[in-house]
Amino acid sequence: MSEHRLKKSLGRAFGVAPSPARRAARWLDRNLGGSSILREELRHIFPDSWAFFLGEIALYCFIVLVVTGIFLALFFHASQAVVVYHGSYHPLAGVPMSDAYSSVLDLSWNVRAGLLVRQVHHWAALVFVAALIIHLMRMFFTGAYRRPRRINWLIGLSLLLLVGFNGLMGYSLPDDLLSGTGLRIAFSITESIPFIGPTMASVLFGGDFPTTGIIARIYPVHIFLLPAAIAGLLGAHLGLLWLQRHTEFPGPGRDDRTMVGSPMVPQYALRTTGYFLLLAGVLTAFGALLQINPVWLYGPFRATDATTSAQPDWHMGWLEGAVRMFPGWDIQIGGFLLPAIFWPAVILPGLIFTPLFLWPWLDWMAMRDNQFVNVLQYPTMRPGRMAIGAGFFTFLTVLLVGGGDDVFANVFGWSLPVLLRTLQILVIVLPPIVAALTYAIARRRSERWLVS
Amino acid sequence: MEVAKGRTVSADPRLTGGASGRDAERGAPGGHGPRGPGWIPTWPATVGLVITLIGSVGFAVSFIDDASTQWLGGFLAAALLGIGLALAYWGRDLAGDEVITGPYPVPHEDAEGRAALGDALDQTVQVITRRHFLTKMLVFAGGVFVLSQVVLLGALGPRPKNSLRTTSWRAGSRLVTFDGVPVTRDTLAAGTFLVAFPEGHTDSADSQITLLRIGADPQFKTLAGRETWSPEGYVAYSRVCTHAGCPVAQYEDQAKVLVCPCHQSTFDLMNGAQPVAGPAGRALPQLPLAIDAQGRLTAQSDFTVPIGPGFWDEG
Repeated sequence: MSEHRLKKSLGRAFGVAPSPARRAARWLDRNLGGSSILREELRHIFPDSWAFFLGEIALYCFIVLVVTGIFLALFFHASQAVVVYHGSYHPLAGVPMSDAYSSVLDLSWNVRAGLLVRQVHHWAALVFVAALIIHLMRMFFTGAYRRPRRINWLIGLSLLLLVGFNGLMGYSLPDDLLSGTGLRIAFSITESIPFIGPTMASVLFGGDFPTTGIIARIYPVHIFLLPAAIAGLLGAHLGLLWLQRHTEFPGPGRDDRTMVGSPMVPQYALRTTGYFLLLAGVLTAFGALLQINPVWLYGPFRATDATTSAQPDWHMGWLEGAVRMFPGWDIQIGGFLLPAIFWPAVILPGLIFTPLFLWPWLDWMAMRDNQFVNVLQYPTMRPGRMAIGAGFFTFLTVLLVGGGDDVFANVFGWSLPVLLRTLQILVIVLPPIVAALTYAIARRRSERWLVS
Repeated sequence: MEVAKGRTVSADPRLTGGASGRDAERGAPGGHGPRGPGWIPTWPATVGLVITLIGSVGFAVSFIDDASTQWLGGFLAAALLGIGLALAYWGRDLAGDEVITGPYPVPHEDAEGRAALGDALDQTVQVITRRHFLTKMLVFAGGVFVLSQVVLLGALGPRPKNSLRTTSWRAGSRLVTFDGVPVTRDTLAAGTFLVAFPEGHTDSADSQITLLRIGADPQFKTLAGRETWSPEGYVAYSRVCTHAGCPVAQYEDQAKVLVCPCHQSTFDLMNGAQPVAGPAGRALPQLPLAIDAQGRLTAQSDFTVPIGPGFWDEG
């Protein structure tokens, strides 16, 4: 009798047989090896702060989007072939429309749980971008982008760009009046680029707007290309987080070489699984109770139709505002034209994202500090950075308000031209004022940090 | 039986922070007895799981019953929130607030490894660059290969030739409404407007026009060179906004302006549809009109400038 079998028999006889968990560990070790590494990783330390949940919200939104997106893909037709609608939504009975729009109506009105899933998908996308932006702000204001996390800052920013862009693609797919109008504007913006604009627009859209193949072209980008890129970057983002460990706020016993927090198993794993389900529950409640993007009210896209108070998804609002607020300075150069929309729609996003991408290096150059850090800074510890950040987000917020200027003018009974001019002044004047005020307040607080 | 016994044996104080799940269920994360100083109630987790039970059953029933989105989603949300609440509470309160300390990994301190890696890469580079001519050829051929792949973009869309400069309007094109009804000199009363297309091209987005009957309004300014373009007080402008291409769909009767619903560009109908507010920089192109022998409105020609949003080689 082998030693192993002897132990097993003895274990049975005395009631100390291995538990299922121990048997699972044995199976893992035999088939994969690396038990001691796994044992260590179960004790992976996660510093605790409510602020560290923001990135998780984004991650969990992505999971909800993939699950709901797969369901939607089963019913959506990426075709602009013209059909005459005879579905359950009677106000549109007999109206000619694209197969794509018709399939979204069927999905919303005839597929059981279809409307719920569609609305959860849309809400998850909106919350996703919001979570990414707040997560980015947390990173910025607490100095989490410093060495050794500069590369992960770049990955995170790239994620924000890809996610925002995929939101725009999703908004365009149903081929309702709003999505078609959005595509029309995207075409015009592309056309405005010097030299290559008209060719680029034609290559992207497959001809002059409106083209009949654009939905079929956007579809694989929205459901495969960009999600695959997002999943890959998320993997890299989390992989680096795992290897480098999470940062921590200052506190007793904590320094750049020592971390304090909850073990992954069981506390952190239980908590974060719970938070994931809570977030999924909240998004489902939104989808159940709060109507979002009721495409049947907008009607199918026709190039001769337009609707008032049309709004893009909220995270495109700053761009919409910039496009509305920038004056009509079309420039004729020789035999060429530089349309005004080029500046707010192409140059401005570049001006906003380039310094964001360079920020960890700009910060390094300004502070002459290339230390390897793991402990975060409280925002007021760096008044200069706090002022820059506050001014930057004030600028974006004024643009965002500008994106809804017609709605605000309607709701509050203001004159639209006056509101527009006010916003044009505010977008220049307000950021420096907010930055200066922030600096003054943070400066007083920062003296307290120096004392302690 | 074996399972129950096994669990007791496997309770590893290091793994569960000195308070195994069972201890916590008894409410004793710090080893205190029931309702002792450290006692934590389990009922919130129980309530959460009961909500999940109700929500799950409700979801299935409302799905089978084809109930409204609100019921279906409400039950599903309750099911998710219930179990989420239970697990979050479990992890936060019942599992014990174990706090552990450990070192951060310290990268970039492997000086030896770094030097070895540098040497290895250096050698690799030398192996390649030693062949000067081949290296240059490699860079050149590789670059040409990459550039040659750009032609694939040609499969995606045609090079724009005249499509951005021309519309479906031709000399003598007759005006019709979206439904194909001909527009005659009697169609509009002074001060009213409609949307028109060239006959046979009511699907042509480029060609949509706003046709307005000014009548004999003294405020209307006829621009130089356009004296014959507005017969009998009819005037037509492209309906595609010169800013971002939306249909300029709103007509404000009092101010005699057209407003684009997308970005509120405003065009003065009394003065060549020049932009007077909002972000547009150029006027809406005017279509030269005529009235034929049968009293039908026609175009004298296509637009004389490109319609719609600006593009680079338009100027």
